Parts: sequence; structure tokens; C-alpha cells
Amino acid sequence: MSYTELSVWTRGIIMDKEGRDIVNSIAASGRKEGKYAQAMENYVDNPDRTNCPTRKYCRLSDSVLENELTYENDHPNIVVLVEGTMVKGWDYMRGMPPGGTLVINTHYTPEYMIRFVPGADRLAQLVCVDAAKLADHKWLYYRLGQLGLDRLSTEGAAERSKAVAPDIAAPLIAAVVKSTGIVKMETIQPMIANQKAFELALHDLHILPLNPVAA
Amino acid sequence: MSTKGTRIPEWLTVPFAGITPAPTQEKGQDLFPTGNWRSIRPVYRDKLPPCNNACGTNEKIQGYLDLVKRGKYLDAYALIKEDMPFPSVTGRVCYHPCEQACNRGQYDEAISIRAVERFLGDLGQALQRDVVKPGKPNGKKVAVVGSGPAGHSAAYQLARLGYKVTILEKSPKAGGLNRGGIPDWVLPQDVLDREIERLIELGIAIKTNTEVGKDVSLDSLKKDYDAVVLAVGLTDPNSVRAEGENKEGVIYGLPFLRDIGMGTSKVKLGARVAVIGGGNTAIDCAREALRQGAVEVTMITVEGNPKEMPCVPEDFHDMTEEGVELIHGRAMTAVLGNGQVEALQLYPAKFSGAINASPITINKDVPAEKFAVDNVIVAVGQHASLAWLPAEFKNERGTIKVDRFGRLGDTNFFAAGDIVQLGSGQPLMVVNAVGDGKRVAFNLDKALRGETLEPRKIAIDVIVDLNRMNMTYFPHFPRVKQDMLNPTSRKKTQDEVILAFTEEQAVEEAGRCFSCGTCNACDNCYLVCPEPCIARSDRSNGLYKILVDYCKGCRVCIEECPTGCLEGVPELDFDAGVVRMDTAFAISPGLHGRQAQELANLASRPAKEL
Repeated sequence: MSYTELSVWTRGIIMDKEGRDIVNSIAASGRKEGKYAQAMENYVDNPDRTNCPTRKYCRLSDSVLENELTYENDHPNIVVLVEGTMVKGWDYMRGMPPGGTLVINTHYTPEYMIRFVPGADRLAQLVCVDAAKLADHKWLYYRLGQLGLDRLSTEGAAERSKAVAPDIAAPLIAAVVKSTGIVKMETIQPMIANQKAFELALHDLHILPLNPVAA
Repeated sequence: MSTKGTRIPEWLTVPFAGITPAPTQEKGQDLFPTGNWRSIRPVYRDKLPPCNNACGTNEKIQGYLDLVKRGKYLDAYALIKEDMPFPSVTGRVCYHPCEQACNRGQYDEAISIRAVERFLGDLGQALQRDVVKPGKPNGKKVAVVGSGPAGHSAAYQLARLGYKVTILEKSPKAGGLNRGGIPDWVLPQDVLDREIERLIELGIAIKTNTEVGKDVSLDSLKKDYDAVVLAVGLTDPNSVRAEGENKEGVIYGLPFLRDIGMGTSKVKLGARVAVIGGGNTAIDCAREALRQGAVEVTMITVEGNPKEMPCVPEDFHDMTEEGVELIHGRAMTAVLGNGQVEALQLYPAKFSGAINASPITINKDVPAEKFAVDNVIVAVGQHASLAWLPAEFKNERGTIKVDRFGRLGDTNFFAAGDIVQLGSGQPLMVVNAVGDGKRVAFNLDKALRGETLEPRKIAIDVIVDLNRMNMTYFPHFPRVKQDMLNPTSRKKTQDEVILAFTEEQAVEEAGRCFSCGTCNACDNCYLVCPEPCIARSDRSNGLYKILVDYCKGCRVCIEECPTGCLEGVPELDFDAGVVRMDTAFAISPGLHGRQAQELANLASRPAKEL
């Protein structure tokens, strides 16, 4: 794998840090392994709006990354949807070359979810992980009454929580790394704050292997 | 919001790149279907209110209360008539299981549903023509045996379905238990007469003084009619099997009330009357005895206290108000006297709970008590009188053996009411008989049309938890009380004891309804939606729509729905209605991509161009 693009689709404010943790930790692990890596956030998506769809990008390459000015991934090999319902929202599959991977945070099975995926014939595998359950996540899913966290703004979020992947990002990182091998497990695992969820996700992935149509 | 790569429709193009039309502009929202921000989708899903569920005939109670609240009395009356042929009767006599189930009872006081029903029933009585019309004749004839609540209900529903119905009634007047089991001061005769007139207006023929097994045989019924509904009720009173029960002055409860109701009573009560039994009929007998001239009325029950008595607590309260005395925990073992009742022999007793033996344990170790009376009324239940029915259709309870659709074997004979429900766990009440008559009528219709019968569907989601509603919208408000006659004056007359609601009272009481789990078009969702994405053509249940292209799933409407009929359903449960947004995000590399391409090509470009 000489050049890999990873796009993470997440939601403004409520899951902003989760998306950022995924791309940052994978890029950092890539650098540790001696690869060239980039990790960026998208500002045109206006991520300071609650629930607004936002994207995070990561690139890993064995050679020097020449593209320093464009931060959007035009041909993502791996797409991660941090929130399950995003599967219905956008054409997140656009530009994906055949043989790609889609990782979704959902309690549904890949067999159920594939009906919502546009252009699923390009996928080599569809991975579903119930990250909210594995990370014992309480408030995000339809329980707004229990929302006691200050999640009204991303401002200062990095200062408030320096831990990488303390919550639902951990199982998603595990899912990405285990299903694609984009970085080595032993490089990335020490970075993750929520080790329990990370370990659980390694054993509780639902991977649906598919036969991608050759381009 | 970036517009790079956006496919902007012709009519929305603007001269500047990077500028998108405002969402408020005409059709501007077409560009930004914010529905894909949503993880839950609000859905209107009406649940069954507990009152509807508890009602023996499943009246749409929430529906008519809502209509009364809005002043649409005729619509409300028409709605109630779908399930209930005589709201004026049940509005007076019903034991209102709906009010026991009412969620408002957990909050302050239950809604006085029965009083509103009576208001509507009286309104219907005053109408020149009823709102209900007979169905298109289908050429089939049905006989209904018995004109009590079950027979009345079955005949009414069958006439609405287009059958030519004949009611056979053995008494000189139609009405069955409504006439013969309910005293005048609860249900005046003229109210019932008017309801029977309504049946005749529907084209139903009523043959009185016609008894099955005597005047007409079962075979002739089979020959003359396409189908028959047997709603004969329980006609024979139970005895207590006491010694000397055949003495003069011993009266049985139901015949006592029936003869007074039919106007054929010859009973002259003495000053001291004892009533044996603790049920509703016993209470009616005790109160009727006062009105028939008794001075001292004593009720003797096996139950140890009033709470155990199988009766409606309000009626018990009204009875004690009228001055009926009570003796609990005693059983009558003998009627003493020389040909005429003089005294009763009483022993302490209690219910043993035995099923196949006598359910009452009498303690004869203590000396018997003597209780001096002039008359004793025995009101300890009724049983069926089914000598005319072949044994194959009878069961061990002495009632008619039917399948779960009310059908006798594979014949076209059906049975409904107390004659089926005795011992089945259903309370033997007017409204339960009406419900049974209704269901049997629909089953009969299906059977005659050759359709397969389906069992009664059990309501899955009955809303009984107040946390599922938004209680901040419901201030505490006391129940409107029905006026009553003074106990000292009313116990000597046949005047109706409980008085009707005025229009204002009915509207006020209907306005207290929570409309549990059912949309009552309060318009709250329409007003609170921060996106203008709730649309309605009219303020009515079922006409509210959510525009899923723009709903962001913010839950405000769900949280603010007072009745709890709006639910948040996980978006992924829907296969249909996928709103995929292609517009606001890049499909092609876009502006940034083009810049990057130009920068990458810089080196190969001739210097002159720069």
C-alpha cells in the first residue's frame, strides 16, 4: 500500500473530536512507522454547527506527499462514518476506487446497512462496529435528556480533553486498523485512551466481504 | 457553506462564484435539504388511550371528548354511535371502567366520561332523526333472540350492515335487562323507549311476547332466517339454598326489579326488608325497596367489609347515603316463620375460595343469630334457562358453548352477552354485553359473506405512563361533579337520582382530557418546529405531515408533544425517504482542486504565461 486516503465523515460539535482523533492518531502512527502522513480538517463544512456533516482527512504514503495545498481527498480508499445515519445523507462514496473499505458506527449489521450505501459495488468490505455500545456511550443516541456534558462548542475542546480517543473513536480506530491494516496495531494501540473499548472492538467487528467491480 | 461543485439549477444561478442563494429565498431550500442531519425521525403514531382499551365496547372516548371540547356535539354523537347503540342508557348505568383506567386519575381526578356520554346520549334522544342510517339491504334475514344490551347492540350493528333484523322478545316490552334489571331512578323508562324507537327507525322488527322454545322453535328459526343471534341473558335467579326459602315473603332480586320495570309487580313490601347479596343487583334491590315503601332496609353480605363487595363503589356510597344498613360476614341459613317470613337465621361466614364446592364456609360452632324481617330479597346472581337448547351447545357452566368468535359449532347460530360471558372472567355489565353483541354482529357478517373469522386484536401500545406525555401542558383541574338529588327526599320517589351535565359542564369536563397518546390537533408541533418542516392542511388528527427533507431531528416537537403521539424513530429504521444531499459538497475537485492542479502544472508552463 503505497498511498492511502482516509476520509472521516462526522457531525459538527457533538462528534467533532471523535473524527479528529481518528485522523490524527492514524497519521501520527503512520509517521512513527516512517511513512509520510497528513491529517486535516475541513473548514468549509462549518463544523461549529451542531449535527452539521463535517469531514476529516488523512493521507499516508511511502513517498513524499506532493499535494500540500489541497486538503480534500478526491479518491478515498477508506471512508469512516462516525454516526450511522450519515449512511443515508451524502454520496460519501464518490471518488472511491474499487476495493475500498467503508466503516460505519452502527448497531445494525452490514447486511442491513448495505442497502443505504450508494455505489456499494466499489467496496471490498463493509465494516460495522457498534462503537457507542462498546465505548459505553450514554448520551449521544436519542438520550438528549442525559446530556450533561458541555458539548455546545468545539472551542477549547482540545484543551479540555487531551486524551486521544477517550470515547467512541477508540472502537472506530480499531475497526479501521484491523480491517485495512493501514498502520500497525502495535503502533497505534498505545495512543488510545479508551483501551477497553479498543480491545472489545477488535473482537466485535462485523465485516462483510464483498467483490468489488474492477474499474 | 461552500458551493464548489454544486449543481445549481438554472433558475438559481447567480453571477458570482461561491455565492449561494439564501435558504429563505423562493425554492432556495431545495439546495440544502438539512434532513440528512437527522439521526431520528419524528413520526406521528397514535396509541390507544387507556379509556378506549378499558371500555367493554371500545368506544372512541378520546375522540368524542375532543369533539365535545370543540363544540361539535353531533359529530361526537355520531362517533359514539359507531360502537354504542344507546349512549343515553350507558351514560346512566355504565360502571365506567373507562374512568377507572383514565390516566387523569393518577394526576388529579379521572374524567367524568360517563356524564359526557349521557350528555351526548340525551342530545341524540332530542334529535328529530337519528344520525345512523340502515345499511344497503343485502337481502339476508337475521333473528336476534332477546332485546337486552347484547341483543340490542347486535341488532343495531346488523341493521347498519344491511341485514333485515327481527328481534324476538319474550316479555311484553322490549329492553331486556335494560328495562327489567335497572330501576327507573337510574334509567327512566322513556329514555329506553326512545332508544327502542331508534331501533325500529332502523327497520328492525321487534316481536314481543315471543319466546324461543315455546312460541317459536329452534328449527323454525333455522328455516326462516339466514342466521340467528342468541342473546337471551341470564334469566333465572340463583337461590342461597337456605331452609324454608319457599316461604311467602321471600323475593328474588332480578324478578323483583323486572316486574317493577315491566309494570307487572304485585309485591307489597313490609316495613323491615333484608337484602341478601353484595353485588350491584343487591344494591339496586335495597334502594328500590326503600322506594317501594320499606322503612328499614338491611343488606346482609358474606363479604367481611364493603371493599370486598363486587359492586360499583359509587352506588354503594349512594345506597348508604339513603340509609341502608349493613351486616357483613353473615350467611342466611334458614328462613324462619310460619308460612310467612318472620326472621332469618344467620351464621358467621366467609368466602373459602373453593371452586368446585360451596364457595362459602359457614361457622356453625357459634349460636345462630335471629334477624327479624317482614320480607327478604335474595340477590345472589343469576343463571341461564336453556331448556330449549340441544345439550351439544351447552357447557359445564350452564351457558352456551361457543367458539372464540361467538359461534355455535359450525352453525349460523351465534350467541352474545351474559349467556356467553358468565364465568368467563368478564364482568357481567351492560357495556360488556354491548361490546360482545357488536363483535358477534361483525363476526356473523363475515361468516355469512364467507370470509375467514379473525380473533380480536389485542391493543399493543396502551399509553398508561404519564412520563410518555408532556405533563407541563396540563394544569391540575378538579373534576366536574354531577349534581344529585337529596338522599332524604329521593329515596321515596322514582325520580332520577343523578342529574345530567349542562352544556357548559360537559365542555369543561371534556376539556380536561389528556388525549393520551392520540393526536388532538393541538398544533404544538406545528408551532414549535424551528424549521418550517411540519405541514398541515387542516387542524385535524392525521393531517399533520413532517417534511423529512428539512427535519433536522432536533426532537423539539417530540419533547413538546403534550399527548405523546409523536415518537422519535431511529432514522435507519426507514428504508424509504433517503434524502441524499449532492449539492453542498464537492462532486468534482472543485475550486481548490483546480487551484492545486494549476499549481502542480506551474513548472511545466511557459514563463510567458505567468
